[in-house]
Amino acid sequence: MSALEWSALVLALVILIAWYLSYSAARLDRLHAKVEGALSALDAALVRRAEASLELANSGALDPASGFLIAGAASQSLERTTERAFESDLLEGQHFAGSEGVESELTEVLLAALPDDVIARTRDDGGLGAAALERVEAAGLRVQLARRFHNDAVKEVQRVRGKRVVQLFRLAGHADLPQTVELDDSFPRARDGS
Amino acid sequence: MRVGLVSPYSFDVPGGVQFHIRDLAEQLIDQGHEASVLAPADEGTVLPPYVVSAGRAVPIRYNGSVARLNFGPIAAARVGRWVSDGDFDLLHIHEPVTPSVAVLALWAATSPVVATFHTSNLRSRAMQAAYPLLRPSLEKINGRIAVSEDARRTVTTHLGGDAVVIPNGVRTSYFGAARRRPQWCGAPGRPTIAFLGRIDEPRKGLPVLAEAMPEVLRALPGARLLVVGPGSSEAARSRMPAEVAAATEFLGAVSEEDKAALLASADIYVAPHTGGESFGIVLVEAMAAGAPVLASDLPAFVRVLDGARAGATFRTGQAGDLATQLTGLLHDRERRDELAARGRRRAEVFDWDVVTRQVTAVYETVLDARPRPRGVASLRQGGGSR
Repeated sequence: MSALEWSALVLALVILIAWYLSYSAARLDRLHAKVEGALSALDAALVRRAEASLELANSGALDPASGFLIAGAASQSLERTTERAFESDLLEGQHFAGSEGVESELTEVLLAALPDDVIARTRDDGGLGAAALERVEAAGLRVQLARRFHNDAVKEVQRVRGKRVVQLFRLAGHADLPQTVELDDSFPRARDGS
Repeated sequence: MRVGLVSPYSFDVPGGVQFHIRDLAEQLIDQGHEASVLAPADEGTVLPPYVVSAGRAVPIRYNGSVARLNFGPIAAARVGRWVSDGDFDLLHIHEPVTPSVAVLALWAATSPVVATFHTSNLRSRAMQAAYPLLRPSLEKINGRIAVSEDARRTVTTHLGGDAVVIPNGVRTSYFGAARRRPQWCGAPGRPTIAFLGRIDEPRKGLPVLAEAMPEVLRALPGARLLVVGPGSSEAARSRMPAEVAAATEFLGAVSEEDKAALLASADIYVAPHTGGESFGIVLVEAMAAGAPVLASDLPAFVRVLDGARAGATFRTGQAGDLATQLTGLLHDRERRDELAARGRRRAEVFDWDVVTRQVTAVYETVLDARPRPRGVASLRQGGGSR
């Protein structure tokens, strides 16, 4: 092969590699954006769940002790969220900022204060309590969904960032490796698995 | 919201996935959303107003049965046009890993994407080989739904991550209100046994039932087997022992109304499927219509039957066990009534109202997760619908 052919071949290879790198970087960027969006959806769902729980606690539909328990756990979660709003890396850092404990606690309290018979009774009584309960259940379901979708997105990022090309060429830049959010979100209870 | 639903399978032929998409679209429209369905269909097929044809489908062997799929550059262009013309808030793609419009739509998608995985069938090597190739496209999916635990396992094994389980919906009130027809009702000594499914598809289990029937007929000479489903009845009849063929009535493919009436009338519904089922929607329909169910003990069926509490099971593919159970049940009126009552209660879990609420919750969650310009302006925006 002549020198010209060789250099053409090398050039083609370089272009191919450059394309692949920029493609991989764009793919990774998209995945990071997806994680960010998913985390903010999870955040929003948790805020809604805490707000609805507080509403239920104050609706008078539950006994005062249960209401007190729920109100305590719910306001703890809300405080946490508002505190965090002042943190600069609210959505940038793709961290959950350690709210797992507080949110798991709210779930635990909801599970304890709302066994199936209490749920059935509150629903039958209707009124404010039933409406608030419905909102708590709907928000709880959305927490379950948002957390799963977030964790799926995180796993995709982790898998792509585990690739040698990505590590070698530092395609992820300085972005932290996102982590899955592990917390207890088992309220509302599953309607026996199908 | 504006939802674009994508069906990989042709609307020319009935099938579980197609019915699921049709019902979901109608539920969404009933609730005031806008829904458009993209599906392969032959020219001249009468389609509901919300269905857009992606062109003619080609029958091709795929995943153990003949599927009518749609692929190639013309299909890709049509899909691209539907996606851009539709201006959807989100796309809901069913069976995204099918060499059909599903994959093409995923490729063309620019909006958030929800995907529903229906299959639990791992037989297709092509599908496994295709995962790495499809992975960048599959990363566009923002929310994954699996219709059953088995389908979910397929997702976890092949894609990693997880999926939320939202079962198939059934119009339980429609099936619950079905009237009995005297010609399909059993009489003392002449019980009726219902079978539904393609009769030339061994996976649906008609051969197993036919093998079990001689023993049933020895115990109950007057028993009648009512077979509903498309396929050649002559061929099926010729494969049966003579006395079974004589006791069998082939009703062909029937309307939804007739199907519901048959299920409401029959003394028992038998689901002898041998595999490849990830859900078992007919089982739910039968339960909703009030038919006692006897099904093979496929994991998916056992789960639909609430751990075999809402229906009886026999060992998959074992004609002998089927014959014993079937004969026992046909002799035991009380047990059948009990199963029917439990089945009706169980079917409620799969009612479309319940299922649609869960699906729209997924839509809202996914729309909440849209990447948006920095700022917290819409963090608390409720619902996410327009």
